[in-house]
Amino acid sequence: MIKKGILAVIILTSFSSCVVIKEYDKVFINDPDMVLADRKCDRNLTTFHSYREAASGANGGKTGGGCGCN
Amino acid sequence: MKNLFLHILGVLVLCCTSGYAQNTEETYKKRVLETSEVEFLTSYYTQDGNNAAVSGGIGSEELTDATGTFVISIPLSDDEVLTIDAGISAYTSASSSNVDPFDSNNAADPFQASSGASGNDVWSNVTLAYSNSSDDRNNIWGAKLAVAVEYDYFSIGLGGSYTALFNEKNTELGITTNIYLDKWNAIYPSELRPFAAGGNGINDAFFLVNTITGNTNYNPQFSEFGKETRNSYAVGLSFSQILTKKLQGALLFDAVLQDGLLSTPFQRVYFGDVADSFIENFQLADDVERLPDSRFKLAFGGRLNYYLNETFVLRSYYRYYSDDWGISSHTANFEVPVKISNSFTVYPSYRYYSQTSADYFSPFESNLSTNLFYTSDFDLSKYTANQYGIGITYTDIFTKRHIWKFGLKSIDLKFNQYDRNTGLSASIVSGAVTFVMD
Repeated sequence: MIKKGILAVIILTSFSSCVVIKEYDKVFINDPDMVLADRKCDRNLTTFHSYREAASGANGGKTGGGCGCN
Repeated sequence: MKNLFLHILGVLVLCCTSGYAQNTEETYKKRVLETSEVEFLTSYYTQDGNNAAVSGGIGSEELTDATGTFVISIPLSDDEVLTIDAGISAYTSASSSNVDPFDSNNAADPFQASSGASGNDVWSNVTLAYSNSSDDRNNIWGAKLAVAVEYDYFSIGLGGSYTALFNEKNTELGITTNIYLDKWNAIYPSELRPFAAGGNGINDAFFLVNTITGNTNYNPQFSEFGKETRNSYAVGLSFSQILTKKLQGALLFDAVLQDGLLSTPFQRVYFGDVADSFIENFQLADDVERLPDSRFKLAFGGRLNYYLNETFVLRSYYRYYSDDWGISSHTANFEVPVKISNSFTVYPSYRYYSQTSADYFSPFESNLSTNLFYTSDFDLSKYTANQYGIGITYTDIFTKRHIWKFGLKSIDLKFNQYDRNTGLSASIVSGAVTFVMD
């Protein structure tokens, strides 16, 4: 799993060395639906997942602590 | 010669002028947050199922929860933002009410809610967060302080973060750390309380009022937890990259170490090798769940978003999770926002989740009294879940509509249906409204 993660980082880093998108070319990237995070509206949904599911983290939500959840 | 001199002078003047212009640009800083913003988040959640952990893996899981949260972001300066996040979550729960199932006029039954005080509670939370951005906006520092309170739980959290942007803001690296110092006020199932240290056991008045059937020699192997603190230490790393004009992705990693009381003190366990005792229709607990006092969690996630065209965006997310309790899990989420007008976007979504069982999980009456650790909490069992959602967003970048001094920036509404193959079914309606101050 860790090897796959490192491979993914290398692939993404390779892309970054190939292309630089200028600020004036980021009109699509800056679209609100392109944000690399959960929607604010989903915050309570993510919290509910942290109660009902054993897995948490790597999503910007709770990772443990702060509540009597898993 | 004179022409050459004038030419050089002209070039010098132009250089000086452009230099001045650059200096002017350098001193001008766009504020990180132009004006104060207020967000109101709310949700209403319902669930039902027949595997309540409070009654040892059987019984009603009926629960409703309503939340309301204000998030107020205030620009302290061009570079600094203070965020105040305050919310409450109020729930009623059939299974929690059965921490004491014998306080109702009706016969005690794991599939019926009791009238006990434990059937509802309020979770309150306040988080203060501060962020500071460098002049070039390529370095962002943050700190936070969080406090959360429930009837039987108190938590204080501290956190810090650092984000660096490179490569003309095409690449972003971030690190976050969080520490939560939590404290239980342990509440145990009512029939076990007489067996705590100093209690009268089977001679307690409780058993004079309530008649035991089945195995009348009820003698649970119960003792109170010696430690009621729970500490969580988390480190998170993030890396995001713009890949093309229409494609960007992120990799996320979290490592969490927890120690202390990780069991939930009011969740019953029934042993398969112990004779069963009852009061009315309710089986008396053999013990509460016992879980190790440490847990190490690892989560790897990735996001990939693609702007297909003016109408469609494709959003995807995947996470792999593993911990030292034997649980591993896969999560995949897909969302396709559809822009139906300049202001409205509809976004259907689908989420798949699967997990393996914790080493210590066994269902109702399947744990053994000889084991060191045991639980019948189906949240730690093997299962898969499917979630279907539909949402709609209204956005007005010009904030034309006003309420008092606040312009309406966006409204977001979403419905999700969540179904687990263990029988648990849940639905949640959530909303978010964002205002900006004039």
